[in-house]
Amino acid sequence: MSRVYREPVEVQAREDGRPTRFVWRGRLYTVRSILEHWAVNREWWREADPADPAPGGSSPGEIAGQPELEYWRVEASAGRGFPAGTYELCRDVAADAWALRRVVD
Amino acid sequence: MEFTHLHVASSYSLRFGTATPAALVARAAELGMPALALTDRDGLYGAFKHVQACTEAGIKPVLGADLALRLPQARARVTLLAEGRQGWASLCRLVTAAHATADADASPVVTAEQIAQHSAGLIVLLGPASDVGQAVAARRSDLARRALDRWLGLGCEAVVEIVDHLDAPGSTHRAARMAELAAQRGTGAVLANAVRYLEPADSRVAQVLDAARHLVPLGSPAVTAREPADAQARAQARNSRAFLADAPTMAAIATRIASALGGTALGGTARALLRQTAELAGRLCLDPVRDLGIGRPHMPEATGGQRAVSLQAVSPQAVSPQAMAQEATRELRIRCESALPPRRPGMSGRRAARTARDRMEHELAIITATGTAPYFLTVADIADRIRASGIRCAIRGSGAGSYVNHLLGISAINPVEHGLLMERFLSPIRTTLPDIDLDVESARRLEAYQVIFDAYGEERTACVSMMETYRARSAIRDVAAAMSLPPDEIGRIAKAFPHIRARHITSALRELPELKASNLATPQLAMVFSIAEKLDGLPRHVAMHPCGILLSDATLRDRTAMQRSAEGFALSHLDKDDAEIAGVIKLDVLGVRMQSAMAYTITEIARTEGDESAPDLDAIPRDDTPTYAMIAQAKTLGCFQIESPGQRELVRKLAPASVDDLIVDISLFRPGPVSSDMISPFLRTRHGLQAPSFPHERLRAALAETGGVVVYHEQVLRILDEMTGCGLDEADLVRRHLSTEHGPRRTEPWFRAAARRRGYDRRVIDQVWEVLAAFGGFGFCKAHAAAFAIPVYQSAWLKRHHPAAFYAGVLTHDPGMYPKRVIVADARLSGIPVLPLDVNTSGDGWKVQADLPPTFPADYSCAPLLPDSRPARPAASPSSPPAGAPSAAAVPQLGVRVSLREVKGISDAEVERIVAGQPYASLRDFWDRARVSRPIAERLVLTGAFDSLYPAPDPAPSSAPRPPADPQPALEFPPEPAPGAVSQPPADAASGFGFLSAPVPGPAPPPAPASPSPLPTRRDLLARVGVLDRAASRASGRARAGSASSSGAGGEALQLFDGAVTDDWLAGLVPAGQLRDLDPAERVAAELDILGFDVSRHVLEFYGTLLAELGVVRSTGLARCRPGETVLVAGVKVATQTPAVRSGQRIIFATLDDAVGLVDLAFFESVQERCAARLFGSWLLLVRGKVRRSGAGTGGGPGSALVRPDAAPVAVTVNGAECWDIPALDEIRVSQGMPAVRAAMAAGDTGVAPGVTSGQGSPGPPAQPMVYGTGFALSPWAETGGPGAALKHAPRNFWHASPGSSGQTGSADD
Repeated sequence: MSRVYREPVEVQAREDGRPTRFVWRGRLYTVRSILEHWAVNREWWREADPADPAPGGSSPGEIAGQPELEYWRVEASAGRGFPAGTYELCRDVAADAWALRRVVD
Repeated sequence: MEFTHLHVASSYSLRFGTATPAALVARAAELGMPALALTDRDGLYGAFKHVQACTEAGIKPVLGADLALRLPQARARVTLLAEGRQGWASLCRLVTAAHATADADASPVVTAEQIAQHSAGLIVLLGPASDVGQAVAARRSDLARRALDRWLGLGCEAVVEIVDHLDAPGSTHRAARMAELAAQRGTGAVLANAVRYLEPADSRVAQVLDAARHLVPLGSPAVTAREPADAQARAQARNSRAFLADAPTMAAIATRIASALGGTALGGTARALLRQTAELAGRLCLDPVRDLGIGRPHMPEATGGQRAVSLQAVSPQAVSPQAMAQEATRELRIRCESALPPRRPGMSGRRAARTARDRMEHELAIITATGTAPYFLTVADIADRIRASGIRCAIRGSGAGSYVNHLLGISAINPVEHGLLMERFLSPIRTTLPDIDLDVESARRLEAYQVIFDAYGEERTACVSMMETYRARSAIRDVAAAMSLPPDEIGRIAKAFPHIRARHITSALRELPELKASNLATPQLAMVFSIAEKLDGLPRHVAMHPCGILLSDATLRDRTAMQRSAEGFALSHLDKDDAEIAGVIKLDVLGVRMQSAMAYTITEIARTEGDESAPDLDAIPRDDTPTYAMIAQAKTLGCFQIESPGQRELVRKLAPASVDDLIVDISLFRPGPVSSDMISPFLRTRHGLQAPSFPHERLRAALAETGGVVVYHEQVLRILDEMTGCGLDEADLVRRHLSTEHGPRRTEPWFRAAARRRGYDRRVIDQVWEVLAAFGGFGFCKAHAAAFAIPVYQSAWLKRHHPAAFYAGVLTHDPGMYPKRVIVADARLSGIPVLPLDVNTSGDGWKVQADLPPTFPADYSCAPLLPDSRPARPAASPSSPPAGAPSAAAVPQLGVRVSLREVKGISDAEVERIVAGQPYASLRDFWDRARVSRPIAERLVLTGAFDSLYPAPDPAPSSAPRPPADPQPALEFPPEPAPGAVSQPPADAASGFGFLSAPVPGPAPPPAPASPSPLPTRRDLLARVGVLDRAASRASGRARAGSASSSGAGGEALQLFDGAVTDDWLAGLVPAGQLRDLDPAERVAAELDILGFDVSRHVLEFYGTLLAELGVVRSTGLARCRPGETVLVAGVKVATQTPAVRSGQRIIFATLDDAVGLVDLAFFESVQERCAARLFGSWLLLVRGKVRRSGAGTGGGPGSALVRPDAAPVAVTVNGAECWDIPALDEIRVSQGMPAVRAAMAAGDTGVAPGVTSGQGSPGPPAQPMVYGTGFALSPWAETGGPGAALKHAPRNFWHASPGSSGQTGSADD
């Protein structure tokens, strides 16, 4: 079972991109391990439509910059004593914005 | 640590890679990489470009190919890499094999066994898309091991290729398992990035290309039959990782994979992977000279035509190259000496013989020094063989400067007579191979190819390939389709653009007046345009080069991959630039339509007048006064090279009287001479208005032929040689250098110093240098012009002396720039009637017809009904004195008959059957024996092809008053003929034409009581075609039902039914005269729709009332208008051009056909804001402008003074200021009357090109012209043509065009 979210989160990451800690709903989570890492392009071709503004905030017709979304599936917990859970973090490379996409129960 | 990419796709991986080989190499060099591989998909098209780029960038090339692999149950892809010379040969042969065993959908594929056959020197990279990689991805380590073992068992050197694009969860683990497998089996493993683009951001382009390749919208899973799911999944760009990553990034990937492997020696595993990659790359670096044979020519072993037959037996090693070259040189000398002209008696004869021999010796020395004797012999052999097959063949280009070519019979031009130089063609210090280009009949070009292939064999011969690349329209189409725009919207947007490069889309939107007025610059389309610009220049199709043939020794297939062209010829993966690099001789065998037109003309003369009357074109005297008189009067429509508006004006001013004059004429009509205004001074001295002047007496020899003006490359060579003493061969290098960007600046000090040493003073040096620098690369090679001048003269001679056959030839092979209607009109105006289609006399090709019916021309309304253009008396018009007019008076009355091929949609087989079955007794007879499809039969009926069997009643009753004959050419349009003659006004006609496309006429209107006709009308015949078709299909249905065993049911059924369908039965079913006949407007509409041009009447006639009311001036009357007078002109638009002109403006030149001649128009930038869209969007145009005499587009301001007094009349151009769409105005006239038309014209809101709102395009900044170092400014939009469809044909739905409809511009499909 997993729940899908699209909530912005604050993330601290290492230089190579691996997230180490993140804040979600006011709670600090520490990443224990990276389970999976992959990347896919945004559906950039839909972003030209003004009715559907680009999530990355790029302006219509603008095609510079990476169209990638980087995904990290991590094992993290909100501190000692809390059980570890599986979280899917996503980073829009062009906008350098993180979001929590999914929580696996 | 260094890293080398071993799996890289460039843009030569069609619709897959996004970066050129040069860009990839430049990036690799920038990243400090020691080498770079190019492993394009399915081909080696980019290989030599890659090697060339690597050499220039100072890195080492590796070559390979990424090929589809056919497996028993699935499909995969593997990458093959070449090691050394053997590896490159194996790779070439394997790729050739892949194309030969292409799948049903024509995509190349190999089997593992084929790879094993060619495994010498090849390394097989087994990556994620390979059978091994797919098994690993499926977590079937057992299958993976078995697959790998099979490769090893086949004897191939297999290496596992590890790629981690992170494109799905588990990607890194999959990569780690690949490494594990390699370690287990002890095979090598390398790291690669399967590169498709330079930068991560370019992945968008890759995604668009994936969508375009699979014809699916972006974002959909692109699984197609072409690439099944497994291989496809790997080939589809999902993220942005397949870029040309730097070494640290690749090292990080290695570490990531190693850490996924687990274990202890993390760093060690990663380093080992990188080390193995570097080691393999080091082994595979190719040496361009040793391994690829670059830098030395590989000529055919043939030492002359006679021996080419026995070539097959000769093995390349049997004879040493030196011995072969010596043998060839000896043979060349023997052939040249035996061809030297016999010596004429006397001093001058001795001198001429001496000159000829000296020239021959000089050239033979050059040929010996360059080792090109085999080449000359090969080309001579080929030219001989082509001519022996009865195909016309002429030399083109600088090869005409060689006397040896003349002696060998390759060239008809004697360079000694015309002052042409060998050095412009070939010299010992030139590093490039010479090019001898041959022109053959376009219609028989492939036959000529076959002659060459037959003689030299496929192991030595191949066609040159070329890439069709993305341009604005194609890029917009593919991007918009990928982004799911509706198809008709896509067509509308794409066609709004002229033929420009894709990268200029945005600037064109900003700057071109006809686009500014459109509403394409929206945010919605901005994304489409910006991606489309990124596709600029990417190859999308491999095609056969229109003329290039490769000739080499028997090792050609070890040096290039081959595939089969659509025409069935071996097609090399080398393009024309690669051929030069690869040291393979390229022969241009160009199909020239004019050669076909002339060959056809000769056969028509022979057919109608007997074989003895057919002239030998290559033997006719080249000083025929009547021919030159015709040229001087600019009656050159249809002639080679001199029919454009600019050329018609130039020949009028120049009045050529010899082949040398024609050479000058051709050379002057070039951007260079136009830009540096050589034309006016040349004409002044030519007509004796100014004495020729030379900067220095010692330059007289070089410049005398053109009165002191530099026109030719050859003159530049002579001047440089004379002033610096550098020699002609060196001079040619300097000339080439002068045409480069920094050439003049770098050459100047050398030139000045050398000239000073030779005693020239400062003033002369300044003066000459100014000319040389301005001349730049622009001037023209005289040899090239000389080669052109021969067919120019030949075509003009044929037009002058055999006009009917000439028009038949030109109309059949369509060699010129104009639509056929212009040639048709020219024929009529020259007194050659154009006869309508006829099932009994029309042939495959236009036919000369001598036995015109006695009633001609009264029964055919092919002659214009306008009084000032009676074909019967061309001499009566002051504008056409008999001396130069192609006159029909000398020969019996001849006409030309429209060809069956002009019928829209007719097939080769149908034309053949119709011609074979002629003559026909009736429509039924035709239907039974010609067996054409029903639509074709209907089209033949509609265009009057059965009128000779069923003479149509005269649509214009004889009582209708004809306009009185006018002794003077009318200056204005007469109103339409009698209103009674046209049963419907044309504007209404537009809505009444629906029946033309309906298969069967609707309910018949009552027959016109005034003309009860005993003969069937065209509508009756149309109905009878319907009856015949239904009868035939019923019969065949019955036959099928009756005899299931019978295979030839159709044919039998027709015969079975034959007894029932008789002419009488048919006539009883559809009695003659039951249906109303087509009126003149309907006939013209049918002709325009079916033939593309009007035969029975000129389409402009239907607007006579409007044009007469407005006082429109006709082309014949323009000469009498005052310069500067404002006039209205009208006509069918037959040409629009945007040539390069001196000022750097983009001037739109347009030509209108107004039934009695042509009106040439010029629209300057100042009026284009309001005119351009309408000008490009309308077919029938009304234009208001100022009359200007002479001096159009060719730069001559004071030109009018230069016209020879006897070369009447002067050229007139109208400088357009406003234009309107005639049908739109006429619609207003019919519904609201003339005052409304005038008001609409004044308001400028009518005749707008459909869909474009006039006057709202904000006047943006004018386009910045590009200014060259020579001062020559060029509009960036010159030579791009207009938007919409090509003008060669009438727009199919022209009659339905109205200002309210919603097409963008133009209306025809292209």
